[in-house]
Amino acid sequence: MFRRSRSMFNHDRKQARLGISLGWILVFAAPLLGQSGPNFPLSHVRLKNGLEVILSEDTSLPIVSVAVVYNVGSVHEPSGKAGLAYIMENLMFSGSANVAPFQHFNFINRVGGELSASTSEDRTLFYQTVPSNQLAPVLWLESDRMKSLEMSEGAFERARNALLDDLLQKKSELYFASQLSFDQLVYSDFAHSHPVLGTEEDVRNLTVDDARNFYANYYVPNNAVLCITGNFNKLSARELVVRYFETIPRGKDIGPSFEPPVYTRQPVVRTFQDVLAAAPAFYMGFRIAPPFSNDFYTLSIVDYILFRGRSSRLTRRLLGRDNKIAYQASGGIEKRKDRAIYRIFCVVNNQAMAERCQEAIFSELDRLKRVVLSERDLVRYKTMFKQDYLNRLSSTMDKAIFLCESFLALKNFDDFPLELEKYMKVTSTDIIGIVNRYFTLDNSIILNVKTK
Amino acid sequence: MKKLGLSWAFWVVLSGTSVLPQQERFRRSPPPPEPLQELKLPRIERALLSNQLSVSIVTRENEPFCSLQLIVFAGESLSPNNLAGTATFVASLLGRGTLVRSVPDVEEFLESIGGTLSVSVGQDYVLLTFHFMEEFLDPALGFLGQALLQPNFTRTEIDYVKFTTTYDLLAKEKDPDFVALRHLGRMLFQNHPYEKFSFSSDVIKTWNENSLADFFDRYYRPNNARIIFASSLSLNAATRKISTYLNLWQPRDIPPTAMRPLKAPEKERVCLVDVPQSLECRAYVGTVFPTPGNSERFDLAVLNQVLGGTPTSRLFMNLRESKAFANFAYSEADFYRAGGVFLVRAKVRPEAIALALQEIRKEIRTLAKEPVSSLEIEQAKSYLIFNFPLQIERYDEFSWRMAENQARNDGEEFWSRYYEQVMLVNAERVFATAQRLLGQPLVLVIAGDKSVLSERLADLETYDVFDAKGQFQYTVTKDKKGAAHEAR
Repeated sequence: MFRRSRSMFNHDRKQARLGISLGWILVFAAPLLGQSGPNFPLSHVRLKNGLEVILSEDTSLPIVSVAVVYNVGSVHEPSGKAGLAYIMENLMFSGSANVAPFQHFNFINRVGGELSASTSEDRTLFYQTVPSNQLAPVLWLESDRMKSLEMSEGAFERARNALLDDLLQKKSELYFASQLSFDQLVYSDFAHSHPVLGTEEDVRNLTVDDARNFYANYYVPNNAVLCITGNFNKLSARELVVRYFETIPRGKDIGPSFEPPVYTRQPVVRTFQDVLAAAPAFYMGFRIAPPFSNDFYTLSIVDYILFRGRSSRLTRRLLGRDNKIAYQASGGIEKRKDRAIYRIFCVVNNQAMAERCQEAIFSELDRLKRVVLSERDLVRYKTMFKQDYLNRLSSTMDKAIFLCESFLALKNFDDFPLELEKYMKVTSTDIIGIVNRYFTLDNSIILNVKTK
Repeated sequence: MKKLGLSWAFWVVLSGTSVLPQQERFRRSPPPPEPLQELKLPRIERALLSNQLSVSIVTRENEPFCSLQLIVFAGESLSPNNLAGTATFVASLLGRGTLVRSVPDVEEFLESIGGTLSVSVGQDYVLLTFHFMEEFLDPALGFLGQALLQPNFTRTEIDYVKFTTTYDLLAKEKDPDFVALRHLGRMLFQNHPYEKFSFSSDVIKTWNENSLADFFDRYYRPNNARIIFASSLSLNAATRKISTYLNLWQPRDIPPTAMRPLKAPEKERVCLVDVPQSLECRAYVGTVFPTPGNSERFDLAVLNQVLGGTPTSRLFMNLRESKAFANFAYSEADFYRAGGVFLVRAKVRPEAIALALQEIRKEIRTLAKEPVSSLEIEQAKSYLIFNFPLQIERYDEFSWRMAENQARNDGEEFWSRYYEQVMLVNAERVFATAQRLLGQPLVLVIAGDKSVLSERLADLETYDVFDAKGQFQYTVTKDKKGAAHEAR
């Protein structure tokens, strides 16, 4: 407790059993990734009701993680219903046909486990880690809320009030208003541009029937992925999954939601006056290829070159000890379902410094377009990427989440063992091509934030 | 470890809900858990290098990362009396450039090996944590050798660390959580060498190159350090590698320092630390006690779990779920060379501060007055046992725990006999430990905006007011008619 830390450089049944055993595809992740790549067994199957199931055993400790991801987020909210996905996450703890309100949480805690949930623009995730002997009860709990969630008026009201409290707090955060304004500039449609927490007006108008409809449409097995990682017997786990999940009725098919966006390539520059801005700032965005398209692998390495780690180009250019021109500067890839942007945010001293920072950013991008990145630098950035990638597999819970998200993101999950290799194959030439394609003035969107 | 047959009394809580006649029978009630699997902990092997550097090796298979923890017994309590913070100053400069690498070079190097380097300073020791990808083992250890044998404390870096530490502390002095914990430390460790840990930004200007070099030269020695190294390497291979890069690190006689035991405050004290314009309010309540015996530490772990270890513990359920006085309330116990500390921390709604303090005090005192039920004890033990593997799963968390055990000389009980030791705890033992350790006078620290909090504390008999730096301002005392008076 009294400790001062500093991060210096961081950066069931016989029939069912037979049926399922034929359907399981076994994948071993190791040999294709080189000697330091991930090395773990991986298998997946689709149940008759459409639920995708991923299993990955690791017998090193007697623990098991269970993650369920629903392929739904704020982008799926109808216009005027912003905040529904977030409220649903909360309501998933309000009890189901056989589980009393909040007993899911209490159970996990009492057996020494840990659990959490999260909602993003494009998915809602529930996950827990427990002693491995508790796998069956956890599957029972998860299946009960997938099959028969109970939503009372009271529970809905509590969830809505909690969200309104969160919104109130969020509104008082510095630069929150300007961030929303930038989102609307970047994403032209309601689905992609509104915040995950929703808007106060929409949240106040939501009803318990909205939540029930949302649950009926999206919280269905054919819109979910279940992943079990850790210490379990594969055969028993398969039986349990079939027993608890396969008789949950399939929901309506959910088709592709969004038309590909049409953008005109011309620079966009706007100004926003933010009453809560402590200092002038600006957002800069570049629309980039959608997640896990061919270009996305190179774009991910470009992210490391620009803003990851202390030696990244824009970190040194904007925040260098001897030539610091921004108070704060950050950047990275932002994914919202089928769309992605590269987003940069800088807080500066005054408008002149904002312009200087923007010039510095374009100057660094220009250098990246013209000068071939040295092999030494490229290897360094790829090593950083690899470190972060492998870190996402360093606990059963991290691994379960990563596998669920990868399942939803990849066109073909069987390619998962090849994924890291795709990033590692990026060349300096690929980088020049990608930066020239996406990081251009006519593909840029800038929002200058002024203080009041 | 042996398989355990624990009480599953809490299991029934899940099954007391409505039953739908049309559903499959197996959905109506939770399935029973299977027998608990055996926990096989990685074996810790030890070696002593020729320069008296103690090395503990843990072999973990299929792990792409290496984790190295360097413990140096050069904590803040060893800072010169007139130069508080020297230990922090020295630790902050570790790895910030060597004779052959500048700071930007070090940054690039660490990124090139998938590495992270961090340092933390406590009262008794400094812990340097170095993670890197195993494929870069040699360059990583080579760098560590340079950082310890060829450090380069340049004027530029010294000024930079002084500047950033000052800036960092000034920024933290607006954070009620930091301010409250620091003040609690000052109150609990008053006139003890541990008090030096709670220095304020004012002392940084006194830090100088001579004291820095002297402190480093005196304490950063292999015979005053330990390494815990976790990787896929065997004891022999790992020891050989470490020896290759660190065998030139020279030992030196280090005079033993006497450390008098921590002593509990003589009477209860309430402190209000002003953090102007803060919207948040933090409450810290703590006490100190002499170093407990090993079995007492397991009693304390169970006791802490009952009181405030998790969101289902008494404090959280009472202060947040039942009374809505706080966003959270937890407790924790920590141990040092000179004794132990038990504290409660809570994020309290400013308008409920007086009632929250009352409840926290009541919850602590109840443990020393009334035995905890056997059911609650068993639930707490279950949590501690079942949660243990989760705490050591990630390579970085595993190494951190190993390092803490080694630094505190915890002994085998805290590693290979953890389950058995927790199982031996019972309600009588917890009650006796609570009476002995938690019956002491408490220090209660509140940090937040004084202008908001003062009127909420009107019912208190007396409390002392401090500014954000911890300077005493005045004492507020209530007279017989209930009117508050300030005395400087």
